[in-house]
Amino acid sequence: MLQFLRRRFLFFFFTYLVSSLTIFFLLRILPGDPARVIAGGREATEAQVAEIREALGLNASLPQQYVTWAADFIRGEWGDTIAFRGAMNRDLIMERSVNSARLALVALLMSAPLALALGVIAGLFENKLPDILISLLTLSVVSLPEFVTGLFLINIVALRWGRSELAASLGWWFPSSSAVPANASFAEMLPALWLPAFAATLVMLAYISRLTRAGVIEELKRDYVRTAALKGIPWRMVIWRHVLRNALLPTVTVIALSISWLVSGLVVIEYVFGFPGLGSLLIAAIERRDLLLVQAIAMVTVTVILFANLFADVAYALLNPRVELA
Amino acid sequence: MRALTISRLSVAFGRTARTQLRHPQSAAGTLLVAFFLILALFGPQLAPHSNPNDQSHDVRVPPTLDPGALQLGEHPFGTDRLGRDVYSRVILGAGSIFRIAGLGTLLSVILGSALGLFMGYQGGWVDELIGRVIDALLAIPALLLALVLIGIIRNLDFAAGSWQAALADNVILLVISLLYIPIVARVARSTTLDIKTREFVEAAQIRGESQFYIIFREILPSVIPSLVVEASLRFSYAIFLVASLGFLGFGARPPSPDWGLMVNENRGGFYQLTPWALEFPALAIAILVIAVNLMSDGIRRAVQKGS
Amino acid sequence: MNATGQNLLEVDHLTISYRVEDQWIPAVRDFRLQLQPRQIVGLVGESGSGKSTVALALMHYLSSNGRVESGGRLQFKDEDLLRKSNAEMRQLWAKRIKFVPQNASAALNPSIKIGRQVMEALKAADDIDGHEAYKRMMQMFHDVNLVDPERVAERYPHELSGGMQQRVTIAMALISNPELLIMDEPTTGLDVTTEAVILDLVRGLIAERDTGVVYITHNLGVVAQLCERVLVLYAGEIMEEASVLDLFQQPRHPYTLGLVSSVPRPGQSKRAAQLQSIAGNPPSLTRIPGGCVFAERCPLVIDLCRERKPPLESLEDGRLVRCHRWEELSQPLPPTPTSHLYGEHPRHQMPTIEMVGGGANGETLMQVSDLTKHFPVERNLREILGRIEPSPIRAVDGVDLQLRAGQTLGLVGESGSGKTTLARLIIGLEERSGGSLQLLGLDVRNSVRERSQDVLSKLQMVFQNPQNSLNPYLSVRQAIRRPLIKLRGLSAEAADAEALALLARVNLRAEYAERYPDELSGGEKQRVAIARAFASDPDLIICDEPVSALDVSVQSAVLNLLAALQDDHGSAYLFISHNLSVVGYLADTIAVMYLGQLFEVGEARELFQPPYHPYTEALVSAIPVPDPLHATERILLSDDLPSAQNLPSGCRFHTRCPRKIGEICETDEPPWRQGGAGHLIRCHIPLEELTAAQSDLIPLDEVV
Repeated sequence: MLQFLRRRFLFFFFTYLVSSLTIFFLLRILPGDPARVIAGGREATEAQVAEIREALGLNASLPQQYVTWAADFIRGEWGDTIAFRGAMNRDLIMERSVNSARLALVALLMSAPLALALGVIAGLFENKLPDILISLLTLSVVSLPEFVTGLFLINIVALRWGRSELAASLGWWFPSSSAVPANASFAEMLPALWLPAFAATLVMLAYISRLTRAGVIEELKRDYVRTAALKGIPWRMVIWRHVLRNALLPTVTVIALSISWLVSGLVVIEYVFGFPGLGSLLIAAIERRDLLLVQAIAMVTVTVILFANLFADVAYALLNPRVELA
Repeated sequence: MRALTISRLSVAFGRTARTQLRHPQSAAGTLLVAFFLILALFGPQLAPHSNPNDQSHDVRVPPTLDPGALQLGEHPFGTDRLGRDVYSRVILGAGSIFRIAGLGTLLSVILGSALGLFMGYQGGWVDELIGRVIDALLAIPALLLALVLIGIIRNLDFAAGSWQAALADNVILLVISLLYIPIVARVARSTTLDIKTREFVEAAQIRGESQFYIIFREILPSVIPSLVVEASLRFSYAIFLVASLGFLGFGARPPSPDWGLMVNENRGGFYQLTPWALEFPALAIAILVIAVNLMSDGIRRAVQKGS
Repeated sequence: MNATGQNLLEVDHLTISYRVEDQWIPAVRDFRLQLQPRQIVGLVGESGSGKSTVALALMHYLSSNGRVESGGRLQFKDEDLLRKSNAEMRQLWAKRIKFVPQNASAALNPSIKIGRQVMEALKAADDIDGHEAYKRMMQMFHDVNLVDPERVAERYPHELSGGMQQRVTIAMALISNPELLIMDEPTTGLDVTTEAVILDLVRGLIAERDTGVVYITHNLGVVAQLCERVLVLYAGEIMEEASVLDLFQQPRHPYTLGLVSSVPRPGQSKRAAQLQSIAGNPPSLTRIPGGCVFAERCPLVIDLCRERKPPLESLEDGRLVRCHRWEELSQPLPPTPTSHLYGEHPRHQMPTIEMVGGGANGETLMQVSDLTKHFPVERNLREILGRIEPSPIRAVDGVDLQLRAGQTLGLVGESGSGKTTLARLIIGLEERSGGSLQLLGLDVRNSVRERSQDVLSKLQMVFQNPQNSLNPYLSVRQAIRRPLIKLRGLSAEAADAEALALLARVNLRAEYAERYPDELSGGEKQRVAIARAFASDPDLIICDEPVSALDVSVQSAVLNLLAALQDDHGSAYLFISHNLSVVGYLADTIAVMYLGQLFEVGEARELFQPPYHPYTEALVSAIPVPDPLHATERILLSDDLPSAQNLPSGCRFHTRCPRKIGEICETDEPPWRQGGAGHLIRCHIPLEELTAAQSDLIPLDEVV
């Protein structure tokens, strides 16, 4: 176990290093002068560019710059925003992260159980009607780009049905936009949250349920499932104890890995719904050429994902006696 | 010799085609993809108005399409608020999405499989190092990486006609291949690792074959089926990504007839005015994504069955 | 039949079909069986004969794409199993009818502790409380000779050896005292020593109970040693049913006869005669012939056989046979059946070596000296902190060997003995950690990448698994002509012609040149692989278990082919196998390997006679001899092989040695002792004492 943890942690740090290097150097290796880009492109004066170059320490050597930048990131000094005058990158990102986390949490709580159930049903009825229906569902409706489902939900569900008399009595549950104040509390945000969360749920659904289905089908073919059946125990118990136990173990990892999947989806969903999360912040930052903010957002996202992956692998190892712990 | 191997592979693809046909949903998907491909290739000839930005029509004409009477009418999908024919724009938009997603996928499959084959066969620390870097890169969400790359490249100002400008024009295509190279490489690598231990590869080693011969003559044919599956999967994600980037405003620039862009331009308040200008391109994206998914699912099933 | 009183199991006209792409294919047709309590009935068949299908059908457990056709009968005591619902069957499975699967490691749930899995079976059978169940489980573990049962119960399956896992599945089946036990190849995949132990255990456990057993296997030796009656299955049909003695001594069906006489017996050698073999391959299930299913391969075939399917006839002495011409086969055969049916081909005299150590005939082709392969082990945290270098896995640990031109050196040992690693070191697929290799007096480089064209063409290899030894995307012609061009430097045209000539030499028709591996049977693939190995006209061919994946009826033809090609080409073989009889048939000299070292080297016939090294003695005694009259006392070894990372001190075999003499075995490495004629044994016990203590395990008249 120690051996495994040691390796896993080493890999964690290595991954962290590679992704931070990627994020850092993307800005440096591309043609063009980053200081000029930050200063606003061609229109910026030489003096402005020089000032920024000085402020960001761009005159130092590349490795030095990286070390300074990484140290600043770890200490939480992520600089001031250009896009949103006056605010600190850190405060902005923290506020938006909380909102995105709320959205992600609601989406996960909605999608994980549903996806597992669909996957298990499809797997148990391989190539029979329930499986074909679920496969078609996950392959088609659910694998649509987020902005298509998002717009459908806004325009059809919220705008058309949401204006019906029945929905009117529920009133605020059908907002056409999720553009709530960024510092709203969770309770205040909830009505605005569920529609984008549902869109995100659809994104996750296909991914988790298809992997679950494959796991169940694979397990059902195992010799030990036959052994269990021939012990004369009820089929229900064979499924629970021998099929699902082994089939669902890897889905721990899958769900954690799907966080990375979710992050991509959330960027688009937040933009479509106008939700004040990290994703819409990222798009705004790119549109307004605030590269420092973009870097900081990327680093925060990667940090979250890497921790989720680490957690998933360790949990999997603890749950699964087959992993060689020696 | 080469021809024989190719004929061998084509037998496998004949089987793939038959399996596709046995599942109606995969067959339908494949046919739809073929239909869109025809639109992409012959769009300018097929569209009633070959200039997508021809604003000479009446504005906000509702769709004249009448499915019951099988009639297209003057503006089957209506016109948008600027008086452009939506039908023509949708047809002409197929070209760019296929070109970017298709070429991007192709590039990533070629480079990724070369890298993966080399890593898998070579093994040792080279493989370990590249493999770890790939794993690390894959931890960064694709869309995030794409947005960061595009955000930076778009902010660079280049002289027209320079190579940098050409690069910037094809930035999404490049981003797609860059994003998918490691993923394809990982698939090619793991299949190679499996094939490499087969005894026919060892037989080639003990007659002193070169590394090049072993990788391309002995191993590659057995890796191709899984590469085909991966390529079809990558293609479907690429279409997804191109449409999403277009929607977010990081793809084609207005006024090009990009589906994602058309959806974005006609949402919000404009949706009330000309819902069709949003709905038809959105529908086109939806159908294409579903079709590609059904097709790649069929390919996967056929290849798994064949092996 | 000798049905006295009530039968435990009666099966009649059972036909089992499988659905393959919208078509129902009858995999087993008209199956019959009668079983009485305390009886062990063997069901033998080659791969594809439908024996595993029968096993599950007897349990009335078929996968969703299988079904039992109507008109059959499956009667277990008073219960008509075919009319039972799943729920009713469950009650029978829980207590009265049990199944022991093949491949125990896959049949046990990897994520549940052994104890829980066994208790689960017990609780399904009887309504007993946990304490009582645990006690019974411990008793059962004790009965199947599981050492330290309490700890076994706390382990996960992957922490047990293959032999222990199989004991667990047997314990799981017998714990409810079932009336009927179906055993589906329970020893396939185990080492011969472990197999002997398990068979012994099964025999003992059944003798104490009233259980009736259907034992399914492909191994005629196991049948001869274990079963009372035998059914022979071929392409889904019963060919013959008889008592084990009758079946081996007077087979009434040409297939049985071919099968019985194609297995090499321990001590049988290529010098005396070719093995008999059955030509051709079993029919594909999708194209079952209308007449006799064996007609295509039968030496007695007449027109009638192809036109009409022979009925399953009951003979007066309670046997069943399905053949139009069984009466012509009724003449009793000599005890070791060497019938003229499959043609006896006495071989022209081969030069026999007089001495192994002295080198009378045949120059030394390859000299292996002190060859060593240590695989490094990754260090764990404690070892890194303590700067401890972990001991490596000593797969091959100082092996000296001499191969003579044109002769065969057989290498035997259990799995994990390092024999395959040794082969891979010689061929250069693995880099040696120490020692030297000399080919015709010249040093050979470490790995294939460094070896010259000349050395490469002199050393070739035939691999174990025919499935993987040919590239599925290359035709037979391409596979064979490549080494001709690459190693012999032939032009493309010359290579094509030569490829056809090689095909002819491995007895494949010219039309095979354009086929692809998936159009060939296992035996045919192996022939192509042999042709490919001979293409460069090598001096030494390493054969790593070349026939172990093949069915017996195909195996003997490949062995004959190898012997014939050696006569023609004068190539030497290093022939590796876990099967001592197969090695004994082909080899001039045999080396016995255990945990990376050799323990005995000697001329083939010497090896089957005392003095034996105690390990060899155990190996020879464990051979399941396909002769029901052959009775030797088995020397049973414990089935836990020490790890090659943590080798026992002194003599490596002392932890399992039945003849251990004392402390010296644990402390000192044993010396090589010289017997007659270059026979070498590495043991602390003087050879005279060994000879005195040991008995002939193989009767002299069988050693030729």
